[in-house]
Amino acid sequence: MKLYDSFRSALQSLVVNKLRSALTMLGVIIGVAAVIAMVSVGNGASQSVQNTILNLGSNLVTVQPQFGNDNGLKGAGAQAQNLTLDDMRSIQDQLGASIAAAEAEQQAGRWQVTAAGQNWNTQVSGVTEDYPIVRDWGVDSGEFFATSDLNVNAQVAVLGATTATNLFGDIDPVGQTIQLRQAFGGGGQGGGQQRARILNFRVVGVLGIKGSTFGFSRDDQILVPLTTAQHVLTGQLNRVSQIVVKATSSDTMELTTSDVNNILLQRHNIGDPANADFTVTNQNDTLAALSSVTGTFTLLLGAIGGISLLVGGIGIMNIMLVSVNERTREIGIRKAVGARRGDILNQFLIEAIALTGLGGVIGILLGWAITVVVHQIPQAASLPLLITSGTVIIAVGVSVAIGVVFGLYPAMRAARLHPIQALRYE
Amino acid sequence: MIQSVVQLRGVTKTYRIGREITVNALRGVDLDVRAAEFVAIMGPSGSGKSTLMNILGCLDVADGGTYILAGENVGKLSDGQLAGIRNKHVGFVFQTYNLLSRLNAIENVELPLIYGGDRKQRRERALAALEQVGLGDRIHHRPSELSGGQQQRVAIARALLNDPSMILADEPTGNLDSRSSAEILSIFQRLNDMGKTVVMVTHEPDVAAHCKRIVRMRDGLIARDELVPRPRRAEDELAVGIGAAE
Ligand SMILES: Nc1ncnc2c1ncn2[C@@H]1O[C@H](COP(=O)(O)OP(=O)(O)OP(=O)(O)O)[C@@H](O)[C@H]1O
Ligand SMILES: [Mg+2]
Repeated sequence: MKLYDSFRSALQSLVVNKLRSALTMLGVIIGVAAVIAMVSVGNGASQSVQNTILNLGSNLVTVQPQFGNDNGLKGAGAQAQNLTLDDMRSIQDQLGASIAAAEAEQQAGRWQVTAAGQNWNTQVSGVTEDYPIVRDWGVDSGEFFATSDLNVNAQVAVLGATTATNLFGDIDPVGQTIQLRQAFGGGGQGGGQQRARILNFRVVGVLGIKGSTFGFSRDDQILVPLTTAQHVLTGQLNRVSQIVVKATSSDTMELTTSDVNNILLQRHNIGDPANADFTVTNQNDTLAALSSVTGTFTLLLGAIGGISLLVGGIGIMNIMLVSVNERTREIGIRKAVGARRGDILNQFLIEAIALTGLGGVIGILLGWAITVVVHQIPQAASLPLLITSGTVIIAVGVSVAIGVVFGLYPAMRAARLHPIQALRYE
Repeated sequence: MIQSVVQLRGVTKTYRIGREITVNALRGVDLDVRAAEFVAIMGPSGSGKSTLMNILGCLDVADGGTYILAGENVGKLSDGQLAGIRNKHVGFVFQTYNLLSRLNAIENVELPLIYGGDRKQRRERALAALEQVGLGDRIHHRPSELSGGQQQRVAIARALLNDPSMILADEPTGNLDSRSSAEILSIFQRLNDMGKTVVMVTHEPDVAAHCKRIVRMRDGLIARDELVPRPRRAEDELAVGIGAAE
């Protein structure tokens, strides 16, 4: 029997029972759609988390202070030490060319900013001169402040792109002056006198556009020299919020991590690394941890889809058994005019595969539609659309395989029928 | 001696119902059918006529004895080979027509060609067969849109399609009125005139009277086997407008 005839008769019988075929397919349609939608949303989510992390700069090793660890350092006589600018300088000196760059940061809180008659409220941070290298984020106009600015606590500022637009509109901010006033309720622990003061800063540069990270716009901020932040804005002279070291490549990150760790342990006079008053994390670890989380998430979503496919497959088997039963006489007639077992087997198998294959294709379209709809939700709009050809091929392959697996038993039952008994069947 | 199309020797068939009860449907049948014969098989209900026909048509296999069809020992054939014989060497006509209700007349007739034989000119051959049984104008009708006699003629066209050596008909006129029966019989007679072997089961002596030979069965054995001196012609009865069985 030609394959063409098998297909024709399979499609004919599906068309005859339109409603039943549609309902049977529904299980596979929902299963495939679920797999497609869930896997693509899951892939999209993990992709977007990765992008976000890499957006902060690549090959980063971050040091943050840790207070009150297991040994109760905070309360005990052995006072935990701050991370300082000197720590960072020491890392720079000792590691030299074996790292790409290093910088230290201090958050100076939110400030009220005035310029050209405009008012704006934004986050101010003190950073060091290599910030653009470490963060892969340079200025679009003007220039970044230099070590010399740090040495003299210069009151200069680099504006985020959004901040610049909001304060100056179309005017070029570089060379202009902005006034900082402590924002109500926010900011560092500076004295009341500092709060009352109006601080003038000269704008030296505007950062390129970076976008947002975890929902926060990174383009709305003001960067000032770290020392200026310490002396003029916060009054916290001997403390930084974090030190960020950029390794030369992804491969040297492990080495850089342990180097940084050793330098700081030595500087802080800590013998047992367990007592460290800082933590060093590297981006690889963060990425690995996150990708294992998102991978599990994707797997879980896929498994849910897989279970609905299984249920759909059982539905197919059920309907095919009913169909074989209903068409026992037809099978007898076909055998009486010369159909072999293989012919009957093919006929029912192709029918099952046509059901699941068609269901699979409709499911892919539906899953794709769901993904598109999900993208209309603002919170998900930034997720990349990730229906890969691999996902589609797997979905079609799986649904065809379901047709084979769950159609085989009913088809075999049909093929094994004895012609006379089949013809006698009422 | 003329080559036999069918040669049965000591053929037996036993049905088992459950574990205990067995039915000896055939108890050692010897039968020869030569080419171009037109044989009627008669006998009371349950005497084994249908069982014999199913074995002749390779729809079933005998438990014992030998069956040689056109020189081939059927008892030694595999399931697939039997399917091939059903496809090419025998045309079966059933009392209940057994057409596929989803297909129209010509698609029903084409069916044997889907499973084998010469696939070329499938349509033309099916059309020719339908014309042979006088249904050239009904090819797109579904079985439900045809009378019983017309359905049986579609079934005959289907049986003829692969030009089989033998037509087997199990009570083909059992569900038909006398006029339709006469039409069916006239088709069989015409085919037989052209050299086709026909074996037909019937309960009605008037139908059997159209055959050249009558085999009578009783309790799974052949009780009598006689030639009909002057078979009746169905065409004549149709021409004068009276039924075959009246
Ligand atoms: N599948 C079967 N299972 C069990 N017994 C069967 C089966 N088929 C036939 N028989 C028995 O075999 C015997 C012969 O049956 P068969 O159908 O050949 O009779 P028949 O001569 O065709 O009768 P009728 O004229 O009523 O059609 C009967 O006793 C019947 O009950
Ligand atoms: Mg019978």
